[in-house]
Amino acid sequence: MGVVFLLTSCEKVVELDYKGNQSRIVIEGNISNQPGPYIVKIRKSVALTQTGAYPTVDNAVVIISDNAGHADTLIAQGNGTYLTRKLQGMEGRTYTLAITAENQSYAAQSTMPERVPFDGIKVEEVIFGGETEFNIIPEYVDPAQKGNNYRFELSANDKLMNQHFVQNDEVKNGLKNTARLELSDDEDLKLKRGDVITLKMQCVDAKVALYYKTLALIGDSGPGGGITPNNPPGNISNGALGVFSAHTSETKSITIP
Amino acid sequence: MFKKVVLTSLLLLFGGALMAQSRYTVSGTVKQKSSGETLIGVTVVVAGQPTMGVITNEYGFYSISLPKGSYSLRFSYVGYQQQTMPVNLDANVKVNIELSDDISLQEVVVTSKKDDDNLTQAVMGTETLNMKTASKIPVVFGEKDLVKTIQLMPGVKSNGEGSNGFSVRGGATDQNLILLDEAPVYNASHLLGIFSTFNSDAIKDATIIKGNSPAQFGGRLSSVLDVKMKEGNNKNYQVSGGIGLISSRLTVEGPIQKNKSSFIISGRRTYADLFAKLSSDLKDTKLYFYDLNMKANLEINDKNKLFFSGYFGKDVLGISTLFNSKWGNSTGTLRWNRLISSKLFSNTSFIYSNYDFNVGFKSDGAETNFNSHIKDLNLKQDFTWFANVKNNIRFGFNIIHHTITPTKAGGTDIVSTKKDRKGLENAVYVANAYKATERLSLDYGLRFSFYNVLGGDTYNIYRNNELVKSITLADGKTGKTYINWEPRFSANYRLNDVSSVKAGYARNTQSLHLMSNSTGGSPTDQWIGNSYNIKPGVADQFSAGYSRNFDDNAYELNAEAYYKSMKNQIDYRDGADINTVPDIESELLFGKGRAYGLEILFKKKTGKLTGWIGYTLSKTERQINGINGGAWYNAKHDRTHDLSVVGIYTLSENWTLSGTFIYNTGNAVTFPTGKYPLNDMVMYQYGNRNADRMPATHRLDLSATFERPSRRRFQGSWSFGLYNVYGRKNPYLMTFKENKTDPGKIDAVQTSLFQWVPSISYNFKF
Repeated sequence: MGVVFLLTSCEKVVELDYKGNQSRIVIEGNISNQPGPYIVKIRKSVALTQTGAYPTVDNAVVIISDNAGHADTLIAQGNGTYLTRKLQGMEGRTYTLAITAENQSYAAQSTMPERVPFDGIKVEEVIFGGETEFNIIPEYVDPAQKGNNYRFELSANDKLMNQHFVQNDEVKNGLKNTARLELSDDEDLKLKRGDVITLKMQCVDAKVALYYKTLALIGDSGPGGGITPNNPPGNISNGALGVFSAHTSETKSITIP
Repeated sequence: MFKKVVLTSLLLLFGGALMAQSRYTVSGTVKQKSSGETLIGVTVVVAGQPTMGVITNEYGFYSISLPKGSYSLRFSYVGYQQQTMPVNLDANVKVNIELSDDISLQEVVVTSKKDDDNLTQAVMGTETLNMKTASKIPVVFGEKDLVKTIQLMPGVKSNGEGSNGFSVRGGATDQNLILLDEAPVYNASHLLGIFSTFNSDAIKDATIIKGNSPAQFGGRLSSVLDVKMKEGNNKNYQVSGGIGLISSRLTVEGPIQKNKSSFIISGRRTYADLFAKLSSDLKDTKLYFYDLNMKANLEINDKNKLFFSGYFGKDVLGISTLFNSKWGNSTGTLRWNRLISSKLFSNTSFIYSNYDFNVGFKSDGAETNFNSHIKDLNLKQDFTWFANVKNNIRFGFNIIHHTITPTKAGGTDIVSTKKDRKGLENAVYVANAYKATERLSLDYGLRFSFYNVLGGDTYNIYRNNELVKSITLADGKTGKTYINWEPRFSANYRLNDVSSVKAGYARNTQSLHLMSNSTGGSPTDQWIGNSYNIKPGVADQFSAGYSRNFDDNAYELNAEAYYKSMKNQIDYRDGADINTVPDIESELLFGKGRAYGLEILFKKKTGKLTGWIGYTLSKTERQINGINGGAWYNAKHDRTHDLSVVGIYTLSENWTLSGTFIYNTGNAVTFPTGKYPLNDMVMYQYGNRNADRMPATHRLDLSATFERPSRRRFQGSWSFGLYNVYGRKNPYLMTFKENKTDPGKIDAVQTSLFQWVPSISYNFKF
């Protein structure tokens, strides 16, 4: 598609009128198989045009329990941040998050899948439309059992990219992964020789995968755009934005040769 | 009991026709003198009795029955010299007519029909466009394009710049039945939608019917775009062609039996990729399309004629070995015209249609590709019974066997268990065009359609996207059947010499649905037939109109208002990945739609300056359970205002200038309203679906055509064009991202496609 458009297309920043925004509570909760403490953050969304810090919720009661009989009441650290005290994330366990904040209750559940080892990062150099591009291929071997979901966080030179990457075994099950991460066409995010790539791989459950998959699918608006954007289907009740994810986590780095 | 009801109602409906006295019939074919092409829509009237008249059908055939006597028949068609023919009717007679091009009329003709047809015909929401008009209208890259020109008509909205998809009266892109010589074309676009699959050199004319289609058409909710290929010159061999910036075209036509039968072969290929090869940057890029139109007709005898038409087109887009995409349509139609009697005309068509799509990626040495496919075998039998001057009856049936391969993954280590799905789409119809009085004409008909889900696969039944039951249907077995009655009605009442009012109602149903999750329509969109979950879409359209002609039919004003309600509309749920999901039906949501609007078309039909102004005021909404909290929302192609102005000016014998101006409200889109942080990334919060608007689109295009005075048989012409004259940056995409220097601020970045695209092309004929 790029070829035709490269010849003619142009970009500019425009001013738009935005509809009023209804501020909603945003919950971010992560439990991993790495040692704790684990963090839950409670903040609020703001209008798109607003700048400055996000409002936080600091007097909530936050409890995480698992299906092995453990429960942990998190300690408020201020700035909307809550830390677990003793909980240890374990593969195969289901975690329940219960929050009471501003007279409202929110609940979420997530199951930490069995870990699939992250074997390495493969960088594939390709010439695409006359330009050198680098494909990032996470190396792992998908287990024979179907239903695995993987999420990736990509950083280049310690800067986290605001992009969502999800892979699953729907088309290819039980094989070594060969699929690359679908990087955005954004010129500003282009990878270069010498960049230090850090990739975090998470094995996530189906609901968490759907949440990030929806984000990954949301395209641009307009006649040439992708699917109509929407708030992704999260796993938290009572209309809260955000997601509660219990996942395994493993990080690798490589320098683009 | 049922049979009796049907027979009685038929008798009532067509009583006038059946009880007509025995008369004699004059019938024949009307052709163009220079090439022998049959002329469609020629008005044939009895001189002195303007209400006694008929119009030639799609094969140029007409038939009038009159009491014994002497008459004078007048044949008229705009752009051709009127011809009068005395007929002494004491037996059935055959009168074949050839009309000459009107030399005095150098200007381009905007409509192809009789001057005041808009006042006498009961048809509603119908516009016919001949290639003569389309060829003068400026388009991007100078490629004449029928579909782009149709998009300049009120009620027809382009999906956006660089897209060939269009929406008619609030319908979706897949709700247009696009026929090329009766064969459905499933993807009418080339090069990602910048061009249409219709090679203008091979096309005779095109008619768009916006919802009130006669009963012989069916299967789509919103419109019929009926494109007819040229038949070829049956007098002389002729070569014509063109060389443009993007593509070249060559057409050869000539007689098979002189004055009786002919053939035409027309090919087109783009060569952007050949230039790309010269550039080191793009030498690994493949990007081209080609298409080939063929048609031949053979006159077996006075009463039997055979037509064969074929189309084959392919698009190839590849970037090194990493990305490859190919898609194409092929269609074939074999038609047998038979004159059973001087009053009964029969056409039998065997139609084949195939659409194939392939996309492949290569990553880490492994290939992944997705393939989808739709194949139709189609039998159509249509009878036209020219019962008498008041009644023109059409009846027939249509059976289509669909084989649909859903998007199926393949490649290294991939085993897909997806199977082909089959369905049978059937219809029986009858309709009458009835001239009730001198002032009132009525078109009414009934289409009975039924769809059978056929065996060979397992069908899953979902409730709220959860699997509740699986039905394995053996090959050859018939599963679920859907039955629909589709009444069609329209009436025209002529108020006086210059004005008329119209009203109509039509029900249409649709059994094939295009699954698409992009806004503009992309070749990856896949077709799917009715199943146990997917019911046929149903649209009911009510419309009313007023037409007035001015200044001896030099100007024409048509206004129509419509209201349309749609049932069983389909959308996806959030997060559905339509390529990889094992059963796409698990991801579907169902609901309804409504659309209403006002269309105004003002035409200037004669003189040095011709053209039209089309304006549409409209609203289109959807309500789908599971989207937008179940509340009504704007459909993505909802646009409040849509204006197009087309002007063609004959400057001199050699020079023609033309221009188009368009303005439309931006598409309904969903912009973020808020933002929030998550995992150290900024996320966007969205409010109501499609509550926002892209900025408005407007653009002026100009072109000039120079026709060199012909030297003996050779005719050449140059066309110069400038697309988007004032370089408006029209919105194509809107992307939201953090400002580079101030990450707390979110920028809306608009991408535009074409600014100032000049073009030049050379056309020739000998």
